[in-house]
Amino acid sequence: MIPDWKLERYLTGDLPDGEMREIREMEATDEIFAGRVKMMREDNRAILKKMPFERLSERLDAMPTRFGNGLKGAGSNGAGNGVSFTLVKFATAAALVLAVVTVALFSQREVVSPATDGGAQVMDVAMVDASESPDGAGDTRIKGLEARIEVWKKTADSAVQMSNLDEAREGDEIQLRYLVPEKCFGMLFSMDGNGTVTMHMADDNKAIALEPGKMTTLPFAYKLDNAPKFETFYLFTSTKGFSINVDDIDALFKNKDVRQEHVTLRKVGGK
Amino acid sequence: MVLEGLYGKYAPMVYRRCYSMLKDDAEAQDMVQEVFLRIYERMDSLDLSQPSSLLWNTATRLCLNRIRDKHRHGVDVDSSELLLTIACADDEQESYEAKNILAKLFSREPESSRTIAMLHYVDGMTLEETAREVNLSVSGVRKRLRGLQAKLKNLEVK
Repeated sequence: MIPDWKLERYLTGDLPDGEMREIREMEATDEIFAGRVKMMREDNRAILKKMPFERLSERLDAMPTRFGNGLKGAGSNGAGNGVSFTLVKFATAAALVLAVVTVALFSQREVVSPATDGGAQVMDVAMVDASESPDGAGDTRIKGLEARIEVWKKTADSAVQMSNLDEAREGDEIQLRYLVPEKCFGMLFSMDGNGTVTMHMADDNKAIALEPGKMTTLPFAYKLDNAPKFETFYLFTSTKGFSINVDDIDALFKNKDVRQEHVTLRKVGGK
Repeated sequence: MVLEGLYGKYAPMVYRRCYSMLKDDAEAQDMVQEVFLRIYERMDSLDLSQPSSLLWNTATRLCLNRIRDKHRHGVDVDSSELLLTIACADDEQESYEAKNILAKLFSREPESSRTIAMLHYVDGMTLEETAREVNLSVSGVRKRLRGLQAKLKNLEVK
């Protein structure tokens, strides 16, 4: 049985000559194996049809804006443009230096992952890189830093950070980020105009342990439904473990050991 | 265009890799884009002589990160126990490398021990194949696996 990874290399022609020859012979003589190869070739075509290069191109066009330097369009035709690579690299380096200096000055402990660019104009990069920030933040509180929740709305090729009471619509795709200044327990949830509570980060109804010092992006987005009036996103934190009873949320608000940060989006255009 | 050529040839492979790890079509499609964006960002500093290895390993690493993040945030993860264990393993090598942000951006990234564990334990590559895949010696691969293995009691270096 040829393992998947080897079959993939066979299809792309990346195996050493001897192995290519061996598998080619097997394809010619083994009907079952030949059927497997045929199915994968058909699957290749279907995948490229489903997700053509043009879709990636759209994101490539938007990519320079990740670095916040107005280079939009510099890489619009994909790779192979040495100038745009250089600019992008330079911009990245500059943004990193700026970010590192800013972080060093203001938080001393906040860790900036390579592509988050400090100010994080585009969160889809952070979705990947937040996980790569170094661990190991200690138990001490980061002076001058408060727990923070950020709400971002995906746009066609980028994302914008939403401020409190900004307008949002049904179908908007929301990404949440948070930062805490010390080791603590926390949970993220939202409540809409129908009074429905949606948990975004918790262990069932219990707060989970959070690490301080890095802006963390939840690894999934949240699409707003047709609930009217508002959607409020809450970050609750405490140095002690706590839980939520969705039938009695007031109890959580009254808990003096628990801090809360929130961002409310006003729903418009809905029912 | 180099990237378009790479995409046309390798995107299906990358998609299948991502889908096999994430078990979700939309997430896998999103991850394919992330993988190629990563390559694009570093294209002039990457060794593209073995694009299949580069793309396969990049997809593996990003998917492991995604699985680990979801698990950390209490999201149900549709993964085998072995995959989840590898994804959530404390990889000191990776953590160390992550601290060197500029070096990570502009030079070749050594593969993480978690990726090496995926190739060997999940993909079933031999130590020799794994070593070739990540440009390490067999003893180097063995050493990295042992380092990780200390934290993964249920895995054994074959």
